Amino acid sequence: MTENAIIITACMFAVAIICFGAAIGAAWGNGNLTGKGLESMARQPEESGKLFTNMLVSVGLVESMPILCYVIAVVLVFANPFIK
Amino acid sequence: MGNEAAAAAAEAEHAKELIHYLAREIAPGITVHMQTMYMTWIVMIILILLFVFASKNAKLIPSGLQNGMEFFVEFIEGLVKGSLGEKGWKAIGSFFVSTFMFILISNELGMLPQVGVHWTSPTNDINTCFALSLTVAIGVYFVGVATNGLGFFKHFVSPSPAFLPLHLLDELTKPLTMALRLFGNILAGEILLIILYQLAPWIVPEFWVMFSLFIGFLQAFIFTMLSICSYEKIYAHH
Repeated sequence: MTENAIIITACMFAVAIICFGAAIGAAWGNGNLTGKGLESMARQPEESGKLFTNMLVSVGLVESMPILCYVIAVVLVFANPFIK
Repeated sequence: MGNEAAAAAAEAEHAKELIHYLAREIAPGITVHMQTMYMTWIVMIILILLFVFASKNAKLIPSGLQNGMEFFVEFIEGLVKGSLGEKGWKAIGSFFVSTFMFILISNELGMLPQVGVHWTSPTNDINTCFALSLTVAIGVYFVGVATNGLGFFKHFVSPSPAFLPLHLLDELTKPLTMALRLFGNILAGEILLIILYQLAPWIVPEFWVMFSLFIGFLQAFIFTMLSICSYEKIYAHH
């Protein structure tokens, strides 16, 4: 096979593994902390404003790593720097 | 085989132009991304117009545009007073309002329909995001020395001198992750939007635009929240 075909194939496999890991990581992390947030808001409805704010901040922090993985995956798919 | 590889290589070359920065060399060796500059100037003009018209003939009971802008200012005032106190709000509160509004309007600017002008967010450029986070990180030192004098550097050894490597690492990684988080969120959203516009009829990308509007607000809020947390060490010793 030509060199470009090998590079593209390897990159496609890499992108699949990256997206798999990033999706599982993001969903599991966000699910955990949103579940605990909802539980706390149900226990103390008068504090739900502060709890919701802190929950959103934590969601943003947790999501940042999977988003960085997605940026790498998108660069590999659409603007691959290895293709000659 | 050779033909398919050549076609794939040609398409990758074509797709490299997905995000246009319009790089222009303004002096030998210095390249500027003109698309980012134009969009940043547009955001600045929008912000100046919004706040100037909101504060003309300011009434005690606001209505209309003044009410809208006061909503944002009071939102940030609540966040700042919760962490930095009254003193912090009086000294540097307006910096956080500017940061939040700039990042909010920058993130939402890329979602406008691409008629006539090619709208992109200035925050889809890594340089803008690093400029914002480095301003916050280096500003901590300037404001800290101005407020607390040179005793401000005691916070590096604050619980005990063994914490010094931890604080240094925190100083390095926090601006890095703040910038990369903002950049990654906005760039990934824009690339996906471009691809969706090419693939699907006109109504389908609008769902992604709706989600992206919320993500723009969330990322602006998180960036401002983390900047406020960076400044907490100045106003904590009371």
